[in-house]
Amino acid sequence: MIQFQHVFKSYGRARNILADINFDIQAGEFVFVSGPSGAGKSTLLKLIGGLELPSRGSVQVNGQNLEKMTARARPYLRRAVGVILQDTHLLYDRSAIANVTLPLTVTGHSHTQAMARARAALDKVGLAGKEDMKPIELSGGEQQRLAMARAIVNRPAILIADEPTANLDHETATRIMNVFRDFNRVGVTTLIASHDQGLMARYATRTLRIDAGRFSDVAGVPA
Amino acid sequence: MNAWLQQHRYALGVTVRRLIAQPFSSLANIMVMALALALPLLGGAVLVSVQPVTKQLSVTPELTVYLAVDAPPGAAAQVAQRIRADFPTGVQDVEVMARDEALAELKNNPAWSEALAVLPGNPLPDAVVARLAEGDDLAGRANTLAQALQGWNFVDRVQLDSAWVQRLEALLRFARIGLFFLAACVAVVVLATVFNTVRMQALFQREEIGVARLVGATESFVRRPFLYLGALTGGASALLAIGVAALLLSPLNEALLGLASSYGAEFALRLPAGGWLITAIVATAALGALSARWSVTRNTRF
Repeated sequence: MIQFQHVFKSYGRARNILADINFDIQAGEFVFVSGPSGAGKSTLLKLIGGLELPSRGSVQVNGQNLEKMTARARPYLRRAVGVILQDTHLLYDRSAIANVTLPLTVTGHSHTQAMARARAALDKVGLAGKEDMKPIELSGGEQQRLAMARAIVNRPAILIADEPTANLDHETATRIMNVFRDFNRVGVTTLIASHDQGLMARYATRTLRIDAGRFSDVAGVPA
Repeated sequence: MNAWLQQHRYALGVTVRRLIAQPFSSLANIMVMALALALPLLGGAVLVSVQPVTKQLSVTPELTVYLAVDAPPGAAAQVAQRIRADFPTGVQDVEVMARDEALAELKNNPAWSEALAVLPGNPLPDAVVARLAEGDDLAGRANTLAQALQGWNFVDRVQLDSAWVQRLEALLRFARIGLFFLAACVAVVVLATVFNTVRMQALFQREEIGVARLVGATESFVRRPFLYLGALTGGASALLAIGVAALLLSPLNEALLGLASSYGAEFALRLPAGGWLITAIVATAALGALSARWSVTRNTRF
């Protein structure tokens, strides 16, 4: 499902953020990406989401080679990957449901269809009844769940999340992680970047550890 | 097809929302463009109104050959005969205007009769009027003929009577070219205004564009609302410009009607035909969309 082969990533003449990364993730896996801040976790997720291109090496996502894809084709890959970034990137001038219907509008769904699916997605993340609220009226955890609803509404094959539980209380973090696990159970390949050891101890079956661009692949939680 | 329509409906909705969200800014842009567009429209109104008048006037040059006052009797008839013989194809007809006939005609005019009464003799010369045959380069042929006649015996002066109509035609040709350049300048104003409006909107909508790309929006999807913005702004400006021009023409026509009636004529300025106006609206909308596409492509590379 996701394959990295000798992937390097740098910006300008700066040192490599990622250096010679190699791994293979099968469909339906639940994988954590761990490492300290600035280790390159977000960059790795952005490469999988097609939001960045590798400086060198090959990235294959959902059967498509990223660096060989045309700029025109890249948006279609993004539709197959649900992305939840650390900054939720919500549209604060629109209602919760309008935020969630956006990916469906992009893919040309009818208004009725989009509303029905958006309501179902909001219900799934526990935001039923808050459809008309603006993101600013929601708590941090609710905003994170709203971003999650937007990421899942298009039924992606891959779900990636960058520190989805950062700054959230234990109960909200658990609730969010359970939603990820539910999606993974129905076959959605899930990658979560986190440096929360407790979280990984509870949920991780496989962890990719990055530290200063160097990489290790371990089953379960790294020591 | 359905998805395509859905996306266009969405883009149009977004555009209208953005226009309404900043009513004063949107209206100011439309007003600036409308006033600029009204100028060539008014120029066009003058041209389309004057053109039929020039067509009604004879543009066939007429040469009047004035003979010397002391020319012998019968000289005019000789000149007329020679014109017919030397220029059989170039001249349509030739008419002799005897000095006595001309004096009698003038005496019938009360404005001249008193002045002529005090003169000892007839101050008028014999004259020959030659009308040129229809064909190409009337002005050039008239000049050549005038130069040739000027050298003949007993000929004092040759006057090209229809020269003013030719000058008016030349003036209108000049005005048409001027109007074309004015329209081109206004097109640049439309391009620049829409370009800048879309640039500001693109910067303002930076977050939304980023989110749309994040969830898999194609560049066409991102660009579409801006294209609608350009087209709607352009189209609305053209419509408003037509309204402004029509409003301005009303008082102008009132003043013009007074002037024309003092000459016993009826003349009014009118806007170009409906087909032309619809073409102008569509062309301005297309120009706005084109400018918007250029701007959004340049200003959303983030």
